[in-house]
Amino acid sequence: MELLECVNINKSFGNKNVLKDVNLTISRGRIIGLLGKNGTGKTTLIKLINDLLTPTTGKVLVNGEEVGIESKKIISYLPERTYLDKSMTVDKVIEFFEDFYANFDPKKARQLFKDLDLDTTQKLSKMSKGMQEKVQLVLVMSRKADLYILDEPLGGVDPATRDYILDTILTNFNEGASVIISTHLISDIERILDEVIFIDKGKILLQSDSDELRRKENSSIDEIFRRMFKC
Amino acid sequence: MLKKLLKYDLQNIYKALIIFYSLSLFFGILTRIFLNIENSFIMNIIGQVCSGITISMIFNILINNLMRLWVRFKNNFYGDESYLTHTLPIDKKTLYLSKILTSIITLFSSVLVIGITLFIAYYSKENIEVIKNLLLPLATIYESTVITIVLAFIFVCFLEIMNMLQSGYVGIVLGHKKNNNKMVFSVLSGFGIYLLTQIFTVLVVFVVALFNKDLMNLFYTMDSLSVSTIKLCIYLAIVIYTLNIFILYFVNSKLFSKGVNVD
Repeated sequence: MELLECVNINKSFGNKNVLKDVNLTISRGRIIGLLGKNGTGKTTLIKLINDLLTPTTGKVLVNGEEVGIESKKIISYLPERTYLDKSMTVDKVIEFFEDFYANFDPKKARQLFKDLDLDTTQKLSKMSKGMQEKVQLVLVMSRKADLYILDEPLGGVDPATRDYILDTILTNFNEGASVIISTHLISDIERILDEVIFIDKGKILLQSDSDELRRKENSSIDEIFRRMFKC
Repeated sequence: MLKKLLKYDLQNIYKALIIFYSLSLFFGILTRIFLNIENSFIMNIIGQVCSGITISMIFNILINNLMRLWVRFKNNFYGDESYLTHTLPIDKKTLYLSKILTSIITLFSSVLVIGITLFIAYYSKENIEVIKNLLLPLATIYESTVITIVLAFIFVCFLEIMNMLQSGYVGIVLGHKKNNNKMVFSVLSGFGIYLLTQIFTVLVVFVVALFNKDLMNLFYTMDSLSVSTIKLCIYLAIVIYTLNIFILYFVNSKLFSKGVNVD
């Protein structure tokens, strides 16, 4: 049974079709890049997998079952925005995650916060947006999940922070789990990807093993992407 | 899971309400102190000012409680925080139930604090006598006690506020099913739903009145109603408001179960 399956997914907002007949399969133990330009449907697809949107037609299956309580137990999701209650302290947020996610490891989270030299008694509202995003990343990566979905984790951050984020992802994800990273900053993550999915105008254009694709096209994923999506 | 949800919902609402509770009690005490100092014009003026602030604090508690519950509902289910709320491994009915229980608990505590504040600020044998004398004829008509009359009044008000609150919740859910102008649609839907519950109330009373000539007078004449008819009206109000609350609860639970679309 596949970890994640999207079967004939269509999503419309009014007359606008954002996703068109998306079919997708994700296996276990893979790092997958969901790659596409801005506004091509990456976030919509991710929101459908996380039950934040309801598909117009089609279904999303996680471990063979439709999204719901069971899928939420095993998916650790990092959205592209800050989603925590900013009036909480980091300690309180750790307590919150501990309360609701059985697979959350508070010791690991505290260690990562210590490495960041972060005062956990501090309120999120007192932190910079960048620091809030790091807090979210640490919390998401401190879960022993089967599937990590990271929506634009590198968007709008400096190169040093990008390195920190990629390092945190690579060194902390659960063994045997899969990671979906949505981004348009391909050169930064190309080296870590096992598989790539190209999405454009709501359609999956390509899903391939990244090494195979590089060999076949004799160029880097970044170059292939630039060629395919040339304006 | 419901217990844990309640913990965070209550903490969030009480964080702000506690300030208003404290201020209300504080000014209630000041009112009592200053109004009890006799033969001092300045103290009396300060007492009157404190009394005014106490009354405004009481209204503040109610308005703040309602607004905070609506804002929390909107932020939690459709704002940035919804990305966390809807990805928690909890079914949507439990998420909604937590909001309803939080509403009931906080409204109840607000009514309690308002009662305590009023007691602190204005309790005296004379004031109690005035209230008794005011309500005694009413209690005699209803063949009841003053305490029962006061409690029945508070209970009907409580149900009315709950009805209003839930209409707002349904409005927010319906408004966020639209693709554009979600806030405008939320407010309009909320008003619309509240209006519908009021029409439903009148309709039920009318249906009951078809079988009760005295009650029908309510619709056709300006004559004063008999005691038994007024009693029936009160019972009907309690039953219909409770019914409204349950209907709105099930409507919202159903709407939620069909899934959400967050921005």
